[in-house]
Amino acid sequence: MSILLEVRNLSKTYSQQAGLFRQRSICALNDISFSLLEGRTLAIVGETGSGKSTLAKLLVGIEKPDQGEIILAGTAVQISHYRQYNHIIRYIFQDATTSLNPHQKVGQLLDDTLRFNTQMNVEQRRQKIRLTLKQLGLLDDHAEFYPHMFSGGQLQRVALARALILDPKLLILDEALTALDPSLRAQIVNLLLELQQKSGLAYLLITNHLRLIKHIADDLLVLHYGKMLDYGATAHVIANPQHDYSQKLISSASA
Amino acid sequence: MQLLDIKNLTIELTTPDGLIRAVDRVSLSMREGETRGLVGESGSGKSLIAKAIVGVLNKRWRVTADSFGWRGQELSNLPYEQQRKIIGRDVAMIYQEPSKSLDPTAAILDQLEEAIPDHRLEGPWWKRSYMRRRRAIALLHKVGIRDHQSVMQSYPYQLSEGICQKTMIAMAIAKDPKLLIADEPTTALETTTQAQLFRLLASFNQLKGMSILLISHELELIARYTQSLSVLYCGQLVEAGETASIIKQPYHPYTHALIKSVPGFQPNLPPKTPLYALPGSIPVFQHLPIGCRLGPRCPNARKECVKTPALERLHNHYYSCHFPLIGNKAP
Ligand SMILES: Nc1ncnc2c1ncn2[C@@H]1O[C@H](COP(=O)(O)OP(=O)(O)OP(=O)(O)O)[C@@H](O)[C@H]1O
Ligand SMILES: Nc1ncnc2c1ncn2[C@@H]1O[C@H](COP(=O)(O)OP(=O)(O)OP(=O)(O)O)[C@@H](O)[C@H]1O
Ligand code: SF4
Ligand SMILES: [Mg+2]
Ligand SMILES: [Mg+2]
Repeated sequence: MSILLEVRNLSKTYSQQAGLFRQRSICALNDISFSLLEGRTLAIVGETGSGKSTLAKLLVGIEKPDQGEIILAGTAVQISHYRQYNHIIRYIFQDATTSLNPHQKVGQLLDDTLRFNTQMNVEQRRQKIRLTLKQLGLLDDHAEFYPHMFSGGQLQRVALARALILDPKLLILDEALTALDPSLRAQIVNLLLELQQKSGLAYLLITNHLRLIKHIADDLLVLHYGKMLDYGATAHVIANPQHDYSQKLISSASA
Repeated sequence: MQLLDIKNLTIELTTPDGLIRAVDRVSLSMREGETRGLVGESGSGKSLIAKAIVGVLNKRWRVTADSFGWRGQELSNLPYEQQRKIIGRDVAMIYQEPSKSLDPTAAILDQLEEAIPDHRLEGPWWKRSYMRRRRAIALLHKVGIRDHQSVMQSYPYQLSEGICQKTMIAMAIAKDPKLLIADEPTTALETTTQAQLFRLLASFNQLKGMSILLISHELELIARYTQSLSVLYCGQLVEAGETASIIKQPYHPYTHALIKSVPGFQPNLPPKTPLYALPGSIPVFQHLPIGCRLGPRCPNARKECVKTPALERLHNHYYSCHFPLIGNKAP
């Protein structure tokens, strides 16, 4: 299997106001390197503020790294044309409410996504939308809904639909399964596993759900204050974490 | 003493396609000091119920109930202003959407100080603002924010989701509420911090008798931190009772599916294999199935299920199913 994503020595610093005239800088990511193969799942865990969402934002080009390289499907990612990567990499935000336009019906939203990113005609788009809604356990009726008509978990499904409808190669899920009820989460996990087996979709799973990680992630990376601690095969990391912090994290979940 | 006692809460909305009843005759009661979990599928009305209790639902929703008892008093007999005052004083809520709890245009310090009621401050009035600041800092420390200086000066967008959630918890406990409604309070937190915050909430529960209504999809957390449990499906109560006994032996097929779908409760499941899930999807309110709402998805459905099952009771365990999974009666 070929390497889909390679990240080398990625760093990112933010500056924040601290007091009236003082700035302080926060090193959100510090020298991160990893790689992800096609059809594999990498999970990223770390406490709040450890830089997980920052990493995702750098990967999809919403934010610019200070240092380092991101190589996606063989080419270096450049911020200025990140739109062209839409087909390859899709990101589902932690907070679905903020990423959906409140004035657009769900069907319209999905149609726009297809119109801007593919050559499909009206009929093909209609088919694709129906299929995607169905895959995610939504009904045709839901295409007529506006975002405010959904609950938190249902919205997360809409976000998933919008991401999957373009058949990406890599999907970044930033706590995207957390808002789902267990039974629905099981359905979506099954769908993700199936897509992975069938079409070699890779996932970058940002979550603190260790049980879920054990079940679906091949590799695991522990972030702590922007630094990489443990990184390796999930079962291996869980069985012998090298750093104190990882150890604590893992034991607190199995307690 | 009975803290909260709501009978047949119904929440409806008139839409262009007609009336939808998003919450259908749900009863909910809590004793003082009780911790109760509220679970159910996404969209089943959990957040609606929570918002109806604290009275922050948008005016478009019509909320009715046969009774709304609060500490032995029937609130629906009181003028609206007075209801609001009592609830505002005694009940705190952590919203599922951080944007509902936190004002994006104000620094954390201002929002937190605003959440501290005057009667929680001791000492003469000229020391009030100093005491307020001290208490705000203490609250941040309580929820595990050590770096209070920089957090207080930040605006919500500059903080990670987890820090925002901790701040919301600090704001909610600032007024020492009698009842805390926590709607998915720790979704953005990793397990160590999550455990810390639950220990904090548990200590409020034990030391100050604060009751907690915990809305969460994490059944493992619910199992660990709550005494009683209510399960919703599609706007209706399908099962209620003691948490431990429901987790051990659910009577309702939906609850059963819910528990079975959690990998944590299935230790022998090999990685990357499918999880247990009910087929199909949740109906929309415009097209509800006739009779039992789980019917089309229920593995045990029989022809009797076209009749709506009533809420039945066996000891302290309530369920609404014609064919409950009780011992040898299970199909
Ligand atoms: N736009 C910004 N301006 C300034 N600082 C920021 C900004 N975005 C993030 N940060 C800071 O960078 C650090 C990393 O944040 P990030 O959102 O990546 O954390 P996270 O690991 O996703 O946390 P969580 O689990 O809570 O979502 C935090 O200290 C945060 O305060
Ligand atoms: N305008 C509307 N038209 C039709 N249905 C609506 C409308 N507004 C809300 N709803 C429905 O009302 C329900 C609201 O449920 P609520 O937000 O309480 O769900 P929840 O149980 O909190 O779910 P979650 O676990 O996902 O947060 C949803 O099923 C939603 O589809
Ligand atoms: S009443 Fe029938 S359809 Fe409904 S949950 Fe029970 S067995 Fe299933
Ligand atoms: Mg984040
Ligand atoms: Mg909700």
